Amino acid sequence: MSEEKFNFTKTYKEIEEINEWFQGEEMDLDEALQKYERGMELIAKCKERLKEAENKFEEIKKKYLVTE
Amino acid sequence: MKINQSLKVEPIIEERVFSVSEFLDFLNEILVPQRVIVQGEIGEKMNNYPRYSFFNLLDKDGSILKCFVWREVIETLGIDIEPGMEIRVIGYPEIRKNRGELNFQVERIELLGEGVLKRQFEILKKKLEALGYFSPEIKKPIPKFCENIGLITSRVGRGALKDFLTHLGNFGFRIFFYETKVEGSFALNEILEAINWFNQNTPKLDVLVLTRGGGDWESLRPFNSEEIVKSISASKIPIITGIGHEDDTTLADLAADLRASTPTDAAKILNKNWELAKINIPKFEINFNTSLRKTFEIIKEKIIFYENNSSIKVQKEISLKQQELANLWKNLGFRFQNYFKEFEFLEKEFKKNYLKIQKLAKDQKIKIKEFLEDLIKNKNQWQGKINKILKQQEEKLFLCSPYLKLKQGYTITKDKFGKIIKDPARLKISQEILTKFYKGQIVSKIEKIEK
Repeated sequence: MSEEKFNFTKTYKEIEEINEWFQGEEMDLDEALQKYERGMELIAKCKERLKEAENKFEEIKKKYLVTE
Repeated sequence: MKINQSLKVEPIIEERVFSVSEFLDFLNEILVPQRVIVQGEIGEKMNNYPRYSFFNLLDKDGSILKCFVWREVIETLGIDIEPGMEIRVIGYPEIRKNRGELNFQVERIELLGEGVLKRQFEILKKKLEALGYFSPEIKKPIPKFCENIGLITSRVGRGALKDFLTHLGNFGFRIFFYETKVEGSFALNEILEAINWFNQNTPKLDVLVLTRGGGDWESLRPFNSEEIVKSISASKIPIITGIGHEDDTTLADLAADLRASTPTDAAKILNKNWELAKINIPKFEINFNTSLRKTFEIIKEKIIFYENNSSIKVQKEISLKQQELANLWKNLGFRFQNYFKEFEFLEKEFKKNYLKIQKLAKDQKIKIKEFLEDLIKNKNQWQGKINKILKQQEEKLFLCSPYLKLKQGYTITKDKFGKIIKDPARLKISQEILTKFYKGQIVSKIEKIEK
């Protein structure tokens, strides 16, 4: 799999779409299995992302003329 | 007036003689880099030109500061300046060389007094609204899950920074903090610089949060300026404002892509979707499992249904085929029986006929035998009869012979090819012909032909 930068918004959206798909009526077993696998993979990623969720704080050191 | 610490005026060590121009340049080099704020009342005498104005800023003790201002600086205020108004000017001093007088170059004007500020707010609001700066269509969408946040606020002040950070949940946010003043005459420039800096240097940020605690009209002045509205609107990175305010929203709030009421509220807005995700993701997981199990069950049911259904069908089919087969057998047996019967009949007939034929053959045999016996018995009688018949026939033949005719004196004439001549017409004079007699023959030449 390509190591694209993990994007939570995109991933979450895909999970929601899969969830919506599962609410549908007609279901093909092959497709259901595929969606399930994909969904679980994405969920695992999101869980991982939520687990390591320490905030990072960085200060921008900007040189501007301090005049008061 | 405070002078930048880094600039020190060196004492003149050597005796140096300036020309007037050189000296004024020397002074301006010191004066022009300064940015100062001066407060005072606008004097009676104002010189207004289309592109700029001159006015005096006065003190109660009669001190005068001559000011120069470009028209566009006044226009950003929303309302015009008039004699008697108390204002602050932000800018720098400069000596005009051709006049030999000190002028204050005004870069920005701030109005004073709540009444004036409220009036200014209403006018600017109307003006910027008409220009479309607050319209929902131009608002940039805030990403659902913001991760990289540019934070613009003051480190000091009423705890906006602390409020924001403590209420921000641990969702792996990366906060890039750009410290600015949030009130006073220099705040506006710093905030504008911060917005610009983020857009220039970290354009991939999800959102900028511009926040400060509550304040009165005067302290919120930077957030009610035309400049900040234009800057927020021009930012490529979406901006959330969280500006604590006593009553009304600020112009910055109106221009923001999303408005939070306070720094704490801004943090909560950023948390919201992450919190939901934390709750929803396990739910999705359960949903997926349930859904898949359901799918399996539905398919299992379908399989059983088909199985039952199909076995009934197959059984029906088999019994139908069995019936057909039985019929075929029956039919076949019947036909065979017929064949057998027919055969039996044929056999009988054959036997019957065989006997007849046998009898017939026997009869014929006897007849032939009788005939032969008869033939042998009457042999002599038969022979005599036959001899008599033969003699009669011989005689008949003899009478017809041509020799008999020759004997009687007739002749036969032939051409040289041996062909019997019956008609002399075909003959020619001098042609040889052969004439046959009963005894011997002659060859003669034709002398005359009579037809």
